[in-house]
Amino acid sequence: MSFFKGFNQELKLILSLRVGAFLCLLGWAWVHFYWEAPYAILVWNETVFSWVERGGGDWEKFVGTGSNDGLLQQVVRQLFWIFLIAAAASFAARKCSIWKLIALLMGSLFLIILFYARYLESQQQLPILIEHGGQALMPIILVLALKFGPRCPLTQHVAILAVMLTFAGHGAYALGLWPTPANYFAMTKLILGLDFEASVVFLKFAGVMDFLICVGFLFTKLRRVSAGYAFCWGLLTALARPLAGMSFDLHYWGADQFIHEAMLRAPHFMVPLYLLVLWHPVSEHES
Amino acid sequence: MKGSKWFSILSLILIFGGLALSQQNDQKKKGRNLLEIPVVKEDETICFALYTVHDQTLKLTAQLYPLQEGDSKKVRLEINEGEGWKLVAETEIVNPGWTAPFRVENWDDTTSVAYRVLHGPSAKYEGTIRKNPKDQEEVVVAAFTGNSIHPGHGGDISRQDLIDNVKKVDADLLFFSGDQVYDHHRHLAAWLKFGRDFGEIIKDRPTVCLPDDHDAGQPNLWGESGKVSTLAGASDGGYSRPAEYVREVERAQTSHLPDPVDPHQIQQGIGVWFTNLNWGEVDFAIIEDRKFKTGPAGRVPKQGPRPDHIRNPEYDPASVDVDGAILLGERQLKFLEDWGNDWQDTKMKAALSATIFCGGAHIHGGANGRLHADMDSNGWPQAGRNRALAALRKSFAFHLAGDQHLATIFQHGIDEFRDAIWSFCVPSIANLYLRWWEPLEAGANREIDAPEYTGDHLDGFANKVTNFAAANPEKKPMGKLLNTRSAGFGIVRFNKAQRTITMECWPRNVDITDPKAKQYDGWPRTISQFDNYNPTSWQKSGVFLFDRKEPVVQLIDEQTKEILYTVRVKGSSFEPTLPVGKSFTLKAGVDHPSQVVATGVKVGSASERIILK
Repeated sequence: MSFFKGFNQELKLILSLRVGAFLCLLGWAWVHFYWEAPYAILVWNETVFSWVERGGGDWEKFVGTGSNDGLLQQVVRQLFWIFLIAAAASFAARKCSIWKLIALLMGSLFLIILFYARYLESQQQLPILIEHGGQALMPIILVLALKFGPRCPLTQHVAILAVMLTFAGHGAYALGLWPTPANYFAMTKLILGLDFEASVVFLKFAGVMDFLICVGFLFTKLRRVSAGYAFCWGLLTALARPLAGMSFDLHYWGADQFIHEAMLRAPHFMVPLYLLVLWHPVSEHES
Repeated sequence: MKGSKWFSILSLILIFGGLALSQQNDQKKKGRNLLEIPVVKEDETICFALYTVHDQTLKLTAQLYPLQEGDSKKVRLEINEGEGWKLVAETEIVNPGWTAPFRVENWDDTTSVAYRVLHGPSAKYEGTIRKNPKDQEEVVVAAFTGNSIHPGHGGDISRQDLIDNVKKVDADLLFFSGDQVYDHHRHLAAWLKFGRDFGEIIKDRPTVCLPDDHDAGQPNLWGESGKVSTLAGASDGGYSRPAEYVREVERAQTSHLPDPVDPHQIQQGIGVWFTNLNWGEVDFAIIEDRKFKTGPAGRVPKQGPRPDHIRNPEYDPASVDVDGAILLGERQLKFLEDWGNDWQDTKMKAALSATIFCGGAHIHGGANGRLHADMDSNGWPQAGRNRALAALRKSFAFHLAGDQHLATIFQHGIDEFRDAIWSFCVPSIANLYLRWWEPLEAGANREIDAPEYTGDHLDGFANKVTNFAAANPEKKPMGKLLNTRSAGFGIVRFNKAQRTITMECWPRNVDITDPKAKQYDGWPRTISQFDNYNPTSWQKSGVFLFDRKEPVVQLIDEQTKEILYTVRVKGSSFEPTLPVGKSFTLKAGVDHPSQVVATGVKVGSASERIILK
């Protein structure tokens, strides 16, 4: 693994966190800018409506009257700036650059809001919230690493938590504890060519492994194996989206639909990579 | 190190404990409780049954509750024609889905017959196979769509008002246009609940049930001949759920329909079920308007926040009418051509499908508000939409559909306004997702005192549409009462003597036989059968007086050799309306237009007496 050689280990640790944060935030910036983020469920309700009315606002101006988008849609679309700035801060931030660190934390905050909206949209399925934990914590892990060092126990703990959340959430779905999302089967069929029965077995196996990974972090002898498996599986499942969906027949080969789906899942493999590097035995030359 | 371990242990406990607790709470949620499959006694294993009778063939599918290991897998069908119960068929239960399909040929549809489905020693389910209402002047269809059970908008409210009203009008046929089930993972549980809710009316009358997108387990469906979909929202085309799930859905909802006219399977072994049902001398084409439809993602230029949404009102509609985009597909178009020419035992024709052939709404759902166009509607692709309408208008077929969560009456246009069929989109039983028909400009050529949203418009795809009614819901976002969300159902009366079609659109929780009960604004509306292909630019030819009543006539363009239309005449005189400047050959016959009776027929032709051989 040439990645482990020649490079100062501190740099490797920070770099893996920077890349993870950058890709994740840039992916979500793309969703906000080019597509549509699921905030409607947070604002289309009686409570918000009553606030607008009490504030003397006009509902139609708020949501859109006709050919123009309303205030709500205009504000939602501008949120992409928060993610874009946070993505830029992923590489620009240093230990003492307060505003850039704040930008990263804002990125985390808005990711949490976004995932809460998804949670509500899913009729409050807890695994949806949990599986996004890795993405939500990614900028926070980077901030901790920059502020207190990539080897700081707090940074390490939060990174372990992020991986556990991601894999526990996915595992709950893969095992069928909550209804398995349709695209799990679809991607399994398209990429691996498995029929339905085989897909069910495969996904259950993957789900068991997801939970075992989480337990594996408890044991010193198993944690590197767990991090290694998490890196590989996180990378494969992130790449599965564009692999399954893109086609030469589509405009831009479907890149605008699918590439960002792999990017925003970068924490699923970059945080495990950080842990893998962190726990890699350090030679005198590397330290 | 120690701290790290304890932190990890604590995290695991919190995560796993949270998941476990959440699962427990999930089970107790009211919405989930509605979908619990009850544990039933041995004599209650049959939940409900659906049937149709077409061309002397009875098809009946019984829906059972899940059985135990070791229970018999055989189900029996008996009928009582007045001389006691006799066995007419036996079948094996098909699982997954616990359905028991029966097919009985040489069925005598001239009388009503009591039936019962039996399982094991004691389970039975009884109903009536109605006689074919051929001798009735009027055939009444009760139509429904959007059977959400979500408590948030009144979906958990009893359906008893619908049951009572259907019984009061004594509907001859039930039509559920789609979204009988909104749960994307538990079709069986939701389908059994549907059966419990509507079984009282389903058991005694033929039912056409079309599985739409939510039934198939996804929010939207562009079936693309069975492709696998991986994109959230499925706008890349294809089925999101595994094929096994889709097949289970289709077995449950469509295996009782008349045999498919073209049963060749599509990808993933998914079947097709488009067919026709002739009931009471009204011939219903049952169309799958999702199964072959192209998905828009990556095929059309992006025009909005989703691949299937167009927000920019300045966009070029021709840019999304891309070559190769399919709507009904060649197999169904061929079926409609053949069906349109066949008038055996038929006086009127209608098409039943999931949704209407236009973008019939402007404002959608939530704070994302106004959409210029939604490719979920069958207004897209425009070329496919026009081909579908061109096929249907040739037989003066009236179109009944749903899905839009907004009741509307449209007349469609292809080359000019109002040159194609009428459609009635019925309201939702309970409205999950709100829509409004609210064009920015007033419609042209409106009827006197009609609202500004009626009249001639171009929909979001520049299709010519004429609106006659729309049951817009209240504007506030969360009207929880059913009727603030324009929920309800439709009644269509096909009067074969007058050749009229009357559309009624009723809210929920009214007694429709009460003289004080009011329909939604714009209803009822009565049209002539012949309004389904009567362009305003056409003019009358001479009168053809036949020696027989109600022959079938067909007009063929003498230059292009294309069929203009085929129809069964009302009475014995036929005064065709025709496009100006063209001449036609007139063919006619008792049940088939088998003989040429006149040539050179054009606008202003002289009247003639015709004697049919």
